[in-house]
Amino acid sequence: MIEILVLVFGITLLFASITNMLSSIIRILVLQGLILFGITILKSTHLNWLGFGFIALETLIFKAIVIPWFISDTIKHNAIHREVEAYVSNFFSLALMSLIFLGSFALAVFSGQQSGRLFPLEFGIAFATIIKGLFIIIANKKLITHLMGYLIMENGIFLLSLSVGTDLPHIISLGISLDILLSVLIGVLFIKRIKSTFDDADSPGQLREE
Amino acid sequence: MMLAIILFAYPILAALSALMLKSRRKLDFLVLLHALLHLGLGLHGFIKRGSLGAMDDMGLFIFLISSTLYMAVAFYRLGLGQDHNVKAYRVHTIFLMLFIAAMDAACMAKDLGLIWIFVEATTITSAMLISYEHTKSSLEAAWKYLFICSVGIALAFVGILLLILAQPENATLLIHKISYPAISPFWLKISFVFILVGFGTKIGLAPLHFWLPDAHSEAPAPISALLSGALLNTALLPLLRVERLMQRAGLGNTSQQLYLMMGFISVFIATVFILKTKNYKRLLAYSSIENMGLIMLAFGLGGFGIYAGYLHILGHSLVKAALFLTAGNILSIYHDKHHANIKGLFYRNRATAWLWLLALMMILGFPPSPLFTSKFFIITGLIGKGYYLPVIALILLLASIAWSMIRISLSMCSSEEGEKIRLPLWTYLSPALLLLIATVVGIWMPVFE
Repeated sequence: MIEILVLVFGITLLFASITNMLSSIIRILVLQGLILFGITILKSTHLNWLGFGFIALETLIFKAIVIPWFISDTIKHNAIHREVEAYVSNFFSLALMSLIFLGSFALAVFSGQQSGRLFPLEFGIAFATIIKGLFIIIANKKLITHLMGYLIMENGIFLLSLSVGTDLPHIISLGISLDILLSVLIGVLFIKRIKSTFDDADSPGQLREE
Repeated sequence: MMLAIILFAYPILAALSALMLKSRRKLDFLVLLHALLHLGLGLHGFIKRGSLGAMDDMGLFIFLISSTLYMAVAFYRLGLGQDHNVKAYRVHTIFLMLFIAAMDAACMAKDLGLIWIFVEATTITSAMLISYEHTKSSLEAAWKYLFICSVGIALAFVGILLLILAQPENATLLIHKISYPAISPFWLKISFVFILVGFGTKIGLAPLHFWLPDAHSEAPAPISALLSGALLNTALLPLLRVERLMQRAGLGNTSQQLYLMMGFISVFIATVFILKTKNYKRLLAYSSIENMGLIMLAFGLGGFGIYAGYLHILGHSLVKAALFLTAGNILSIYHDKHHANIKGLFYRNRATAWLWLLALMMILGFPPSPLFTSKFFIITGLIGKGYYLPVIALILLLASIAWSMIRISLSMCSSEEGEKIRLPLWTYLSPALLLLIATVVGIWMPVFE
């Protein structure tokens, strides 16, 4: 069951490569949040109510509901153009994603031989997700798409932490929670503040470069 | 342990009480008291080792630099104008104290996960400080800073996860408790690369430096001084700790090669931008990238280079903070950041002009600056290791930077234009004090154990 969920998670990355709409990426974020919830619950061998609440808060509430809702709300209120506006074509994006998968799985297979505590399938897809998140940040013009890329990257890191077959120090859970807080901060405080200062409707667009 | 509790309790309580204060002077007083307490505790920790909780010598070194800079900044703030919005100034003061507390915690922590959390906390708090002026450019700078550093720090988190994977049993993130013989070299190397890229982004190492010139040039002068002089060191600390781990695990050669590579790229990129930038605050920001590159070169050399690295950290922090505070003076005289529009600084404000030129000479490494000694050791260290071509390239790059910065500064100071302007005494004393300390360090040449 876990393998199927991980594979569906991987398919969402392929879908993210061919879609042009911001709303589709939001749906991907919701789906990824739900999958992460499912994987975490299935992997937990001794889960008490507190642990369940913590996981549900991180994955279901934040990743699958709060953050996608916030992004959707920002797009609506700022009248941001609903297309992704990437620098590269869908074909290129899909081809690159395939290469990312290839590289990640090669690393995962090799890594599996190096460490017996690693789940290669999860590790490969987690690694590919992190790279895909970075690619979305680099290859898109809008700030809101950058934020989505960052969130996909964060989901990859969450999956990576699940792929390491050992009990992680509690500090790691705290770190993941802080990252979620940071995502909200980036969004709420800055996209809205930038919007209130910039003039044009597509304001969370490009920033100047030097 | 009690002192450590006071160190963190004060900023939290002061931040809460600041919510009720409506006078700018009282807010300044809270910060000044925090700075005095900070320096006092730092000196106590230096004299009586172990009194500041678990802080080791490396953490204490960075802590004391931050203390000195914070003190200078607290006094400098007394000289700033009273025309600020009190509500915004209150928020700014609260985040300033929390920012310092986050840096202190990062210096004190030995658990890599905790260090990561506190470094991330510095990002959140300092982003609020950068966007204080709420202009389009300052918000852009804060956004870039927050976003790029968050991406970088997320990559550092991947490195930390891989470090757990590198340990076959009893995985820990307490660096001094990691079992070296059992660690997997393959995973440790990959983990190190991620940690280097992650924290390297926060340090502003090229090619991950894009946020730094914006953030350091758009922040108010006291914040720029702290960002450049204190925060970069705090972000460097985990890298130095992990580098020790690499050395003990027998992978020192890999980490040193990576440090040397990142160092050279940073100095090169900084030189290119220093030659073309038109903004004197950005000039200082690119100079920070150059100096962080030199620090990486020093640590990449190992051996005596490590001494040069620590000396460079100390010298750069003191002098760069003085430069940013002086740049704040220039901005309050001209209300312009373009150096081409700054003329007659000597005529309009002699003290600021002297401070600017002296600090500039010191950052370029003219004696008695500590940077003279550190740069000398770095160059001799590179020659000693047989890196002849890189040494020639490095000398050319440093000469280009010196030429560009001297040319710009002389142009800013020359001619007799505009009316003479006097600034509050604190705005001269703070940078002057930092330069004096840097001169004493340069002559005294402390020995770091």
